[in-house]
Amino acid sequence: MKQRLRLYPYLAWAMALLLALPAASAFAAEAGNGPTVAIDKTTLDNGGEITVTGKAPAGAQVYVEVASADKKVRANRFDGKKDPKTGKIPYKFYITQEMPAFYTILVPKAMQTELDAAKADGKGWKYSEVLKKTGADAAYSVPAKIKIDSYQATIMASIIGSRGTLLEPMDEKETKRESMKLVKGRFRSVGKLLAANVETQPDGAYTAKIKVPAGQAPGQYSVVVTAVTERIKDGDKETVKKAKSEAVTFENTVAFPTIYLDSAGTSINLLWPFVLCLAISIFGVLMGAGGGFILNPVLVSLFPLPHTIVAGTVMPTVLFSQGSGIYNYSKIKFINWKLGIGIGCAMLVGGFIGPKLTEMITLDQFKFAFGLILIVLAGLMFWQTTPGYLEKNKKEQAILKEFKKRAEECAKRAESGTTACPTDQK
Amino acid sequence: MKVDFWGHEFHVNMVVGCIGGFLIAVMSSMFGFGGGPFMVPLMTVALGLPMYIVVGSSLLAIFFNTAMGTMRHMQFGNFDLLLFLCMFPAALLGGYLGPQIAKRVSPLVVKRVACAGLVVLALSLLGVF
Repeated sequence: MKQRLRLYPYLAWAMALLLALPAASAFAAEAGNGPTVAIDKTTLDNGGEITVTGKAPAGAQVYVEVASADKKVRANRFDGKKDPKTGKIPYKFYITQEMPAFYTILVPKAMQTELDAAKADGKGWKYSEVLKKTGADAAYSVPAKIKIDSYQATIMASIIGSRGTLLEPMDEKETKRESMKLVKGRFRSVGKLLAANVETQPDGAYTAKIKVPAGQAPGQYSVVVTAVTERIKDGDKETVKKAKSEAVTFENTVAFPTIYLDSAGTSINLLWPFVLCLAISIFGVLMGAGGGFILNPVLVSLFPLPHTIVAGTVMPTVLFSQGSGIYNYSKIKFINWKLGIGIGCAMLVGGFIGPKLTEMITLDQFKFAFGLILIVLAGLMFWQTTPGYLEKNKKEQAILKEFKKRAEECAKRAESGTTACPTDQK
Repeated sequence: MKVDFWGHEFHVNMVVGCIGGFLIAVMSSMFGFGGGPFMVPLMTVALGLPMYIVVGSSLLAIFFNTAMGTMRHMQFGNFDLLLFLCMFPAALLGGYLGPQIAKRVSPLVVKRVACAGLVVLALSLLGVF
């Protein structure tokens, strides 16, 4: 025990040295020839354009990293794909609360062809590969530092609606690798994450345009310029000599009625969801199906809202109308409690599991599955317009009306205190 | 299971009802819609119950699912209060205006329009166009 204790100081020294060495050398490089940076505006009103200018060492490649500094959102990913190396499905669930609400890297203009190639890959494009090809991984730093929790999920755990067991924190390298996947999952398109518009003069002076689209997070954004002076390739390994500028910040403001949705990470004009929800819920009543069927896919398609937020927010809106419907039916004793609660118990279990599954699928899978559900629903609707169904339904509706009338009368009689109905529900 | 309703007695196959209800509940809470349009055919066609017992009881069953789904979504942080606040009044207003308009339009026409609309929306979600 004593001997072990004596080892600790040495270990600590060794660790400190290891940590200090790369830090020290990096610092020297940055202090030596860090690029200068200046921006032409410090405030934006719900998006706009900012020109970044400065001077980097002559012949350097210049990258500009822009990230919202104080607005963070949640991002998660479920890894259910077979690992080609081990042949096993990892079943890992990654989640972070610290994804910047806005993130983009500007790369040299010459890289446009790489971005076009990535765009041509469609939804299957790989962020990490594009970063490497454009050399922008040298500038990729903000998301690399986020805290990512990883869970080992099992099929059983997912069934009972748990995220699984929390795994040990990942090391720096793993975090960086996983963060790229989360960034891609969150921002999805090449155009949002990368733009090739940094122009450099032979003497190292550069200009770049930061385009912040409307509907982004308000608050501080930070801009850091990275100048890559040399890339030394040694087999697979690449050593990059780079220097980073000081961070400059600008502020984006959004004004009412545009509001920032905290958990969605985007700003939205709040009239839109109101109008959409109103129109769709009226139509929902007319067609006899809840508005959620149309509202959810429209919301995820038109706005940059995550599907988890949409599903989780639309669901409670119907709670009230369902509750009042149940109250009205129960007043006239038009609910069979035994039947409703019996099936309700099975639905309770289903409702416990469903929300867990929402965060395990990607937006594209969400849309695809929703498309299939809507086809089935359209089939049901069509069946309800066939002559055979209509005739049967007419009779059913007549009986329904008759019973409802009787039930209402009974409820009135019971209120006035006379004898209860002989046909009352047991 | 035997069910009494307004003097009539029905035999309900609870195994079919519960399995169907469970699957519909998973789907509807996963995608965030009400399960009514699926629940009613399940109870009328698969369970062979008449419409007048189904209307109220299916609503009660779905309420269980919606309440649980809402709770779980909140637990996972999938709930955005601001978005909810601007949709909730619209949903209430829609629920009030809807039935008034419904009296003036033919349900058959609405259903056919809805049918076509749903197919178009579905195809766009499936990425066909």
